[in-house]
Amino acid sequence: MLQLNDLSARVGEGDEAKSILDGLSLEVPLGEVHAIMGPNGAGKSTLAYLLTGRDGYEVSDGTATLEGDDLLDMEPEERAAKGVFLSFQYPVEIPGVPVMTFVRAAMNAQRKARGEEEISAPEFIKKAREVSAKLKIDSEMLKRPVNVGFSGGEKKRLEIFQMMMIEPRFAILDETDSGLDIDALKTVSDGVNALRSPDRGMLVITHYQRLLDHIRPDKVHVLAKGRIIKTGGPELAQQLEREGYDGILGEPA
Amino acid sequence: MTTKELNTRIDEPTRAESQLIERFAGLPEDSHRARAFEVFERTGLPHRRLEQWKWSDFRAGLKSLSEPEQRSTISLSPSDDAAVLHFDGVRWHVPEELPDGLNVFEKTEGQSLGNVNALPMAALAAGLTGQDERIDVLQVEITKPVDRPIFLDFSYTSAKMAFGRIAFVVREGASVDVIENHTGGAGLSSTITEFGLQKGARATRTLLQTGSRQEATAITASVNLAAEAQYEQTALAFGAQLARIETWLSYTGEEASASLNAAYLPAKGYHVDFTSNVLHGAESCVTRQLTKGAVPEGGRGVFQGKFHVPRTVGQYTDADMQHQALLLDNGAEIFAKPELEIYADDVECAHGNTSGQLDETALFYMRQRGIPLADARALLTEAFIAEALESANVSVREALLEASRDFLRRQNQ
Repeated sequence: MLQLNDLSARVGEGDEAKSILDGLSLEVPLGEVHAIMGPNGAGKSTLAYLLTGRDGYEVSDGTATLEGDDLLDMEPEERAAKGVFLSFQYPVEIPGVPVMTFVRAAMNAQRKARGEEEISAPEFIKKAREVSAKLKIDSEMLKRPVNVGFSGGEKKRLEIFQMMMIEPRFAILDETDSGLDIDALKTVSDGVNALRSPDRGMLVITHYQRLLDHIRPDKVHVLAKGRIIKTGGPELAQQLEREGYDGILGEPA
Repeated sequence: MTTKELNTRIDEPTRAESQLIERFAGLPEDSHRARAFEVFERTGLPHRRLEQWKWSDFRAGLKSLSEPEQRSTISLSPSDDAAVLHFDGVRWHVPEELPDGLNVFEKTEGQSLGNVNALPMAALAAGLTGQDERIDVLQVEITKPVDRPIFLDFSYTSAKMAFGRIAFVVREGASVDVIENHTGGAGLSSTITEFGLQKGARATRTLLQTGSRQEATAITASVNLAAEAQYEQTALAFGAQLARIETWLSYTGEEASASLNAAYLPAKGYHVDFTSNVLHGAESCVTRQLTKGAVPEGGRGVFQGKFHVPRTVGQYTDADMQHQALLLDNGAEIFAKPELEIYADDVECAHGNTSGQLDETALFYMRQRGIPLADARALLTEAFIAEALESANVSVREALLEASRDFLRRQNQ
């Protein structure tokens, strides 16, 4: 289970410091998919970065644990080895490092950190071939440097490709729908759904309900002003789509 | 002439300069050699008050010339099909069997050197090579395309000083691939490689320079391209106490082209200087230059590049110069001076020069995937450097990449 308890965080230093999470509590059991929706500036991406250990965020209060392990105490690579995966809203270019080299280095680094054996080259190539076929990724793309010259849609596909190769215990998908056309959205969602499993949790961050038509969440949380202000079933996403955030935010919490 | 009289040509010669003068005084007379040495004596060992040497001060760095006690362990191995010419610091060793299309002439007298006035360290080498009793100057004639690489092994038996020289004349339509393995072994060394490329001739030069912190070296190349000739140079340097790798390239015929790629990786206490001068002395010639460096704490990298495009003959020049450096730690030093001197009006010339640090967002992305920080830094830096080595001769490319990877992993530990 991913368990966030009364999490508060700031970004920036001194007078510039700005509160971005303010007593956020959330539980996502393994086996479930939860969605976080919220208006711009609500702290959705911040939460993703905070959980994965990006520099620049200061946790002032609260805890974040995965299966009881304190995430906030770990380096980003340790969190990854524990099973935390982030599909980035804006995937980053890694010039000169081909996708295949990169993904294999990542998988083996995680395995090494967990004391497991490395994946063999034939095993890796076989798996990469299967996953790329499912995601309709051209094998030429896997030879190119990570994200360099990729279109927005290609970048998002590659994030899901990495997720399916790494098979994390807990995946955070940050606006994975942005930049995808309808066909690509379907392909990517199919990939995500294929990974649904009793021993894997997922947190899907999105602005819009359309992704949730494909990836049906068990629960929907509304994040505003740095905390969860409302939790419900998939119907909450539809209510948001109809009434907008103002409608929900207007209701007494 | 006695040593004492010779001494008067340089103001207050240092101990090292006196040693060089003594060496010259001991050689038989030769007019070419005397002219070159005279040029050297105008400046003595180049120093910071000379504009082109302000970041590579050989006079201050070299108090006296002595045999180095340390050696670099990095070296290239020739491929099985390579023709290996070894310069041991005194003489060239040429194998009996040579590839078809390659003729070697041993010179026992001094040879004149172009641009000698601008090249004090090359002038020194020209002044001290070409002697009756030793073969330290070779001339190689290439008469047709030679597909076996020519491997020049510059590794010296521990010596105070070493000076060597080799010149390639590549005949019309002929081609040659040269690999230079400079692994040091002398307190001061200076070598000259010359390429005369005739019409449509082609040459590639792949170079590795390594050395210890007890060595200073100058490696100079002088390249002349006739019409439609092609030249491609790829160099990886780890430096020494002082290492200057200098390339002077001159187009004398139309539609010739050259690429100059280099990477420098000076460890703490090491110094690498890549200096180049390209003269677009004919119309419609193309130059591509890419220099990359990664410098840890206490290392020093220098890049000086110049494109000179004269008004009368340089029309339709297409030239691009890029220098990109990574400062791996605080306390790394990088000095860069890219210069475009363009007088012709219908040309395309560009240059770029950046020094910075690794991209933090890329590092975070890699760590999020589970790659530890040190490995992420190494991967990013390796890929950055590798771009400049892609054009290396295929028989040693992997060895050069491996040497740069080993270096960067050591820095990250």
